[in-house]
Amino acid sequence: MIHWSKVRTIAVFEFLATVKRTGYLVTTFGMPLFIAAYAAVVTIPAYYAEKRDRALTVFGVVDIARVIDLRGDTPAPESSNVPDEIKQTLKATGQAKAISQALARSTIVYRPFSRESEARTALAAQRIRGYFVLPHDYLQIGAVDMYTSDTFSFARGESRSGLSALLRERLVAGRADAALAARIITPLKDIRRFSVTRAGEVKDAGESATIARIATPISFTVLFLMSVLMTSGYLLQGTATEKENKVVEVLLASANPDEILAGKLAGLGGAGLLQIGVWMTMMLVTGVGVVPMLVAANVEIPWLALAIALPLFIVAFLFFGSLMLGTGSLGSNIREAQQLAMVWSLTAALPMMLLSVTLREPHGTVARVLTWLPFTSGSIVMMRASMEPDWLAWWEIAGPLCVLIASTWIAIRLGARLFRVGLLSTGARPSFREVIRQARLAG
Amino acid sequence: MILGFEQITKSYGSTVALRGVTFDVPGGEIFGLLGPNGAGKSTLIRILMDIIRPDSGMVRVFGEPRRRQHLDRLGYLPEERGLYTRLSVLDVLTYFGALKSLSRAEARRRALEWLERVELAQVATWKVDRLSKGMSQKVQIAGVLMCDPELCILDEPTTGLDPVNVRLVQDLLIERRRSGRSTILSTHQMNQVEALCDRVAMIDRGRLVVYGTVAEVRRRYSLPEVRVHARGSLPQIPLVESAVREADDVWRLRLADGNEPARVLGSLVVAGAVIDRFEPLLAPMEDIFLRVVREGQS
Repeated sequence: MIHWSKVRTIAVFEFLATVKRTGYLVTTFGMPLFIAAYAAVVTIPAYYAEKRDRALTVFGVVDIARVIDLRGDTPAPESSNVPDEIKQTLKATGQAKAISQALARSTIVYRPFSRESEARTALAAQRIRGYFVLPHDYLQIGAVDMYTSDTFSFARGESRSGLSALLRERLVAGRADAALAARIITPLKDIRRFSVTRAGEVKDAGESATIARIATPISFTVLFLMSVLMTSGYLLQGTATEKENKVVEVLLASANPDEILAGKLAGLGGAGLLQIGVWMTMMLVTGVGVVPMLVAANVEIPWLALAIALPLFIVAFLFFGSLMLGTGSLGSNIREAQQLAMVWSLTAALPMMLLSVTLREPHGTVARVLTWLPFTSGSIVMMRASMEPDWLAWWEIAGPLCVLIASTWIAIRLGARLFRVGLLSTGARPSFREVIRQARLAG
Repeated sequence: MILGFEQITKSYGSTVALRGVTFDVPGGEIFGLLGPNGAGKSTLIRILMDIIRPDSGMVRVFGEPRRRQHLDRLGYLPEERGLYTRLSVLDVLTYFGALKSLSRAEARRRALEWLERVELAQVATWKVDRLSKGMSQKVQIAGVLMCDPELCILDEPTTGLDPVNVRLVQDLLIERRRSGRSTILSTHQMNQVEALCDRVAMIDRGRLVVYGTVAEVRRRYSLPEVRVHARGSLPQIPLVESAVREADDVWRLRLADGNEPARVLGSLVVAGAVIDRFEPLLAPMEDIFLRVVREGQS
């Protein structure tokens, strides 16, 4: 029988002891700052490089084939790979200025040169960034020579695609009417996508909607994996410290292993979740602009997945936490404990490893089987509830949740028995047979 | 009886740690649990505290089969002991108190009170890793006694303490006895057993080999001898089998079979002996310990 007051006492103690630690505070609040600083270190030089490239960049064109017919400096035609749907979404959220900056008309300008030697002289004198030579047999073989300086520039790729667009424009000009010319230049200007549900209902299947549907289960899985890995670190560290400090017997003389295990899971799990909560809050605060974007894009929120996320998260977390703590406590030091618990870390990462399969066929055989395994059910049910909720029967949510709850109960019992054996074993790690024997007696 | 072990057996693999150990501990006493290293004392204590389970046998506490609920009424200072080194002394003691179902406020109040009692009030806010070994030990003793357990098990509580602090701890145990609390003292310091314990049980190789009050046990293992300090010569009486002169006025007398020291004293006085001091010779606990262990080995 578990005394919940003792579980609460242990949980509060473990939680407070952990969150007051300097290492915890530094990691919790320092990590986002570190990432921000790191991003700044990486971004600032890139920003200046980009800014430099945004200045008018001149490329020469030596048109021996006489297909482009440049008369003076000619800017590259507008070209963008961003779908119209995304552009509209961004515009609707008041991000038009940002888009216009991001998708600004190309700064590449093409300057005609009658001879290659002139272009080469201009490049050597750094008056131009590079030049293209369209040979006389260009129309037959499509080969173009490109000459640049020996330094790296972001503008090179852009200059190639700009020249390509310019060539398409000039090649069809006068040979086809405007509409046909436009389709030849951009045959897939935009693709509107729809999906048909089981009930025959047509739904938006555009990029934004797909991104939201995929992002939810992936975020869940990543967050879950992070929580399990980080909290297991605290759990194993705490247990190793107790063995090292020899307070184990004092604890066991006051509370049973189930209470200690449950208290530790709750306390240290809470500390781990708080850490993730702080990080998520910081991310949300900095990325609050995403919300109107989602609303404007008519993104269908996967409510079912969001509703079951928290219970699935908690139960799956307790399941892995008990197994990791029980197994890890058999180690005679923190290194051994982590090695022993690693098998569960890898198992928790299984849904990530199978992501390509389950994303392709969220209701295929693999996904259906994984739904019922307690090691994978949390992430897989989330995935299926996000991707095509209509294909997911209610019992495919309730059933796996019941399996997970039952497995968690068994895991806590098993974890507690291993925990008792592990806590009392000092020095060498007990043999497998001894662990089994002691665990049986502990029951 | 506050505690009873009934046919407790426990093995670790092929090693038998306890073989059918049975004895009772009456309430309100200081009870000595004795035995050489590896005899099975710690295993027995761990079974009592439900830290490990026996292969067979039963533990009765407070007159009923031991249950987890009894843990709040038991105190335990293990031999392998320590504290959370990164926390303050007060926080650790408050936690230990809360684990014994005291409210946080009450645990904190008692922690401060007991730190005072063990003369360590000044270390309440110190981190544990600042404490000396002796200080740490006294803090741990305070941590156990502050919950005022009805039955307290102390495994070598005074090892490493200086004589002043040994006396301090002994006084605390005597005070517990005075207030009707029971204490099981596991120790190798036989002088402490003689000074403090009312009753002892000795375990050797997993078996109970000695049990009884300290006085009974000492008498049981003593030779029938008395030491007499007398002025002048000592008259010969038939109740005495032999007499050895240890010093000018000191004799050691071996009594003839079945004769009580009181009768011998009476006979000597009647025979005209001028006696300054008369003491039955009781075997010291240390000698008994050594003798029992040697007998076990042979």
